[in-house]
Amino acid sequence: MTELLKQLCLIDGTSGDEAAVREFVISQIKDFCEYRVDNLGNVIAFKKGKATPSKKILIDAHLDEVGIIITHIESNGFLRFTTVGGIDTAALMLRRVLINGKTLGVIGGKPVHLCDADERKKLPGADSLYIDIGATTDKEAEELLSVGDCAVMCSDFTIAGDKILAKALDDRVGCAVLIDLLKQDSEYDFYASFSVQEEVGLRGAGVVAFSVEPDAAIVIDGTTAADVAGVAESKRVCCQGKGAVVSFMDGATSYDRDYYNAALSSGIPAQSKCAVAGGNNSGAIHLSRGGVRVVALSVPCRYIHTAGSTCDMRDVVAVRDLTKYMINKIASGQL
Amino acid sequence: MNIKETLLKLSDAVGIGNITEASKIASDILSNYADTKQNQNNVVGKIKGESDYTLMLEAHIDEIGFVVTDIDNNGFLTVKNCGGIDLRTLPSRVVTIHGKEKITGVFCATPPHLGGPKEYDDISTLKIDTLLGENAKQIISLGDYVTFNTKAASLQGDRITGKSLDNRAGVVCLLALAEKLQGKRLPCNVVFAFTDMEELGNRGAKITAFDISPDEAIVIDVSFADAPDVSSNDCGKLGGGAMIGMSPVLDKSISKKLVAIAKENELSYQTEVMGSRTGTNGDVISVSKVGVKTGLVSIPLRNMHSDVEIIDIKDIENICDLLEKYILKGGNA
Repeated sequence: MTELLKQLCLIDGTSGDEAAVREFVISQIKDFCEYRVDNLGNVIAFKKGKATPSKKILIDAHLDEVGIIITHIESNGFLRFTTVGGIDTAALMLRRVLINGKTLGVIGGKPVHLCDADERKKLPGADSLYIDIGATTDKEAEELLSVGDCAVMCSDFTIAGDKILAKALDDRVGCAVLIDLLKQDSEYDFYASFSVQEEVGLRGAGVVAFSVEPDAAIVIDGTTAADVAGVAESKRVCCQGKGAVVSFMDGATSYDRDYYNAALSSGIPAQSKCAVAGGNNSGAIHLSRGGVRVVALSVPCRYIHTAGSTCDMRDVVAVRDLTKYMINKIASGQL
Repeated sequence: MNIKETLLKLSDAVGIGNITEASKIASDILSNYADTKQNQNNVVGKIKGESDYTLMLEAHIDEIGFVVTDIDNNGFLTVKNCGGIDLRTLPSRVVTIHGKEKITGVFCATPPHLGGPKEYDDISTLKIDTLLGENAKQIISLGDYVTFNTKAASLQGDRITGKSLDNRAGVVCLLALAEKLQGKRLPCNVVFAFTDMEELGNRGAKITAFDISPDEAIVIDVSFADAPDVSSNDCGKLGGGAMIGMSPVLDKSISKKLVAIAKENELSYQTEVMGSRTGTNGDVISVSKVGVKTGLVSIPLRNMHSDVEIIDIKDIENICDLLEKYILKGGNA
């Protein structure tokens, strides 16, 4: 799955601008399942298994990543922007960005040598930052791009043993797992969604759930792992290398307790998400129509929502295996 | 020599402490044009002229970075910066750790609500994740260097972005100048000096100036270029040509002569006036031995001391032309 993840991470797909990721996903799955693209750009696939379960199961991963969107082009060629999804200013300052997948720029701000002692310690607001593409006039910039165009922070894809260092692991890890599952034979039928606009409020998955009408859903995402130097054990949320992260509650969802317990006791490496924070597409899916039973299986990612996020491939494999386990458990009527 | 191609290459190379990739590249190029010796990160190349007067042209070749001060059992490093770096920009920045092998690492970016820094005033709170876990100590040692690893790239027009353009831009300018001087009758001896440890306090230039004992020196470095929210009083203009330094520590006649030659040859230039020391190697070269008449020419640069510094190649070409004319006129002899 590492090569697949690499291809996925190196494609840019800010929320609302997921076309390139969508096309890649379709190129990967088209020979293995039926699929369609809905009005918002969600890819909804149906995998025919050996048996049709009485419960309709949906597996979701989101296509989009956090990024920025250009809001203004100044007369001297500098661009102003706003963030799409939650990005800490530290992850923006003095970063290289790629606009529309082709134009390179650099995010600048007030130089540190001109900041007073207090300013130097604190992060400025993102609205004080700008993009420098090397253009000297608005006309020069407008030949290359327009307001409304999106950009992402540039990154390579570094493999260090089991560890991966790259942008967009949230949620290309989920896309990789889902593609891998669709390519395999399945015991049971299931629906799969590669949804849009998660980072701007779980918007794509809500409409997917409405049209698929699932009884049960498994949401695959990346989640914050704060198992790093200087962080108290009680604040680590989850740890890399310790398997799939299973949530009992987060900022958007109170999860089905039977599914939660089953996922933790499968024998496949898994850990609880030890914080009630954040949220994922479960928040939109579990409130769809008359309600959907849902379980979230996440890959622990350090430095999430930056160009330098990391994950451990052993955890990605655990999430895939546990997803498969949960499909079979739910479909066979044991849950 | 293609200035842009050479600069992209020199920007990506590393030059800090015992790592001499950039100096090796610069030394190899310079040896085509001058009698060149490389000693670690100090490179000196001499071209004989028609008098005993020696003009030294100096550019520092070292870069900012970090040195490892602690390695914990889970593969996290504590580092100290070598040179001034905006700490606020470090979380999630990818770096190369120069251990027994080159390791890619990343500065931890833990959000404040999970215990990450709320204020950025102490680099020891910003750890580097080596991705090596408990194996880190086998590959990385205390005192190893850490550098930015962003590869240089082209922006629009003649602009490029990369790490350590401060001061590989100055180095490339002098390499191009050495090539230009080939086969020309030089009124004085010209010595090219690429020096180490400027970012740690002008150290390499101090010993190099002592060693060469020049009659005159011109320092080529970078200085702050215009950007939004920066007053034009505080900076030069990117693409606006040579920033000719004027300061109490610099020799006034050299500054004036540089301006006169720029005017005479219709080369664009701008002046950079400072009230005291220049913050460049000019500060130490000028007080070497019995004192050395020293000038300063700076290349405008944005985002100084980051891995996304920006310069305009036109400025390097402009300064190269200015210095050629200056030398052929015999310097300030």
